[in-house]
Amino acid sequence: MTAQAMIDEWYPVGLFSQLQPAGRQTALMGEPIVVSSDADGNATVTGGNGRSLPVLVRYGHVWSSLGQPKKALFPIPEADQPGRRFVDVGAVRVRCSPLRAVENFLDIAHFPFVHTDILGAEPHTEVQNYKVEIREDVDEVWATQVKFYQPQAAKSAAGGITTEYMYRVPAPTCSVLYKTCPPRPSEWDVITLFVQPLAEDLCDVWPWMALFDDDTSMTDLIHFQQTIFLQDRSILENQIPRLLPLDPGMEIPTRADLTSIAYRRWLKRRNYTYGAQLVAQ
Amino acid sequence: MPSDTTGFWTPVALSADLPAGTVIPARTPAGSVALWRSEAGRLAASADRCPHRGMRLSHGFVRGEALSCIYHGWSYAQAGNCLRIPAHPGLTPPETIRVAIHEVAEADGVIWVAAGVPASKPPRLDGLTPLRSLTVLAGKDAIETAAGGKTSPDGLVETAAGAGGVWLLAADDGQTLVHVLVRDDAGTKDRIAASRAAESLRRRAENLQREGIVQ
Repeated sequence: MTAQAMIDEWYPVGLFSQLQPAGRQTALMGEPIVVSSDADGNATVTGGNGRSLPVLVRYGHVWSSLGQPKKALFPIPEADQPGRRFVDVGAVRVRCSPLRAVENFLDIAHFPFVHTDILGAEPHTEVQNYKVEIREDVDEVWATQVKFYQPQAAKSAAGGITTEYMYRVPAPTCSVLYKTCPPRPSEWDVITLFVQPLAEDLCDVWPWMALFDDDTSMTDLIHFQQTIFLQDRSILENQIPRLLPLDPGMEIPTRADLTSIAYRRWLKRRNYTYGAQLVAQ
Repeated sequence: MPSDTTGFWTPVALSADLPAGTVIPARTPAGSVALWRSEAGRLAASADRCPHRGMRLSHGFVRGEALSCIYHGWSYAQAGNCLRIPAHPGLTPPETIRVAIHEVAEADGVIWVAAGVPASKPPRLDGLTPLRSLTVLAGKDAIETAAGGKTSPDGLVETAAGAGGVWLLAADDGQTLVHVLVRDDAGTKDRIAASRAAESLRRRAENLQREGIVQ
């Protein structure tokens, strides 16, 4: 397990809206870091040995890196679209590999069992065929035409609907989900999962949303997402092993897991193995 | 605990703590198991890991005669074969998808799980009735010192003057699962007294362990 290939990536390290001059102590890939604001209100991130780390502020979050990022942060064009509400959900700390947290986010087959009567319900358990590809031009994993019956797809949904999803993995610990927007059928709601790897087996999950919903209060929107992620945490902290197994013999996927298969393949190919287990133990 | 060359039994739970239609986690020297009882009352023990995505099966649920994983609902029979994958309702799961299972025995109100294939049955607990189980963060030696007795080959420790009942031990890696048993003729007062005495014995054993008086 090496941090090498992932060290030059951008990672979320906190909410911009919560920055304090006194700074907040956290960690990035095992290194203690401090995230604070300077006299002008700009975000600064300091590494364990006092060195200044790269910083940028985007999608409500402060981003940093222990290495030297060679690429700009991945684009989310919807973040600049007028009329959307941007929701800083905050952090959920999970004792699992950051890669397992992302993989769970890409999974729909668990909805009826883990998010019962919200994102899924028996007997509507079938996962229909969908399309998955690794888009070489942008170096991202994409799943499209994902459909699932949901009793309450969003806070703004009045009743059960068949929801359509698209998933994107633009960075090893980040995913962007595009989902049917109940009040505006021509648009997609955007829900992201930004994962801060504290260690190989510990992470802070920072969900963020860009929605068309003018009615629901900010508190209710945040509570809805927190409910979902706390349900996910009860799974993520009880998977064995805690690291994501990249050895194909270790776990048994089915057709419903095509996104997860592509994600694991992409991680392996790019050597994104921080938080992964390469050989069965 | 009772053993022979081919395997041994571990007392993992009391029958009363596993009603029909439930699953609980249990520790054995052979690893963590999901111990479950079907709605018809049949007992089974499987490896505590769903082979699909590694989720602990002891967090799952029992419906009818099957144990299901809480993550994606994959369900397993007592024999360990996968019966159903809800994401693909039309698919008959291949034989290769299965969980390892352990032999289970139940007698005198205690459930035993086998590591390996024991040649004999688990010991009988004649004249004794299970009262409750508790986990003690101490090894066998500290427990024996606290209880003032030695462990029999069947894993039983007589507590001093019998005040704390008889203890049936399942030691594992620095902690010990203790099943407190009382005489069949014990009345309510005796049972309450044995339960309280067991808790004070637990504190004494844990203190001994912490202070390093016994290893």
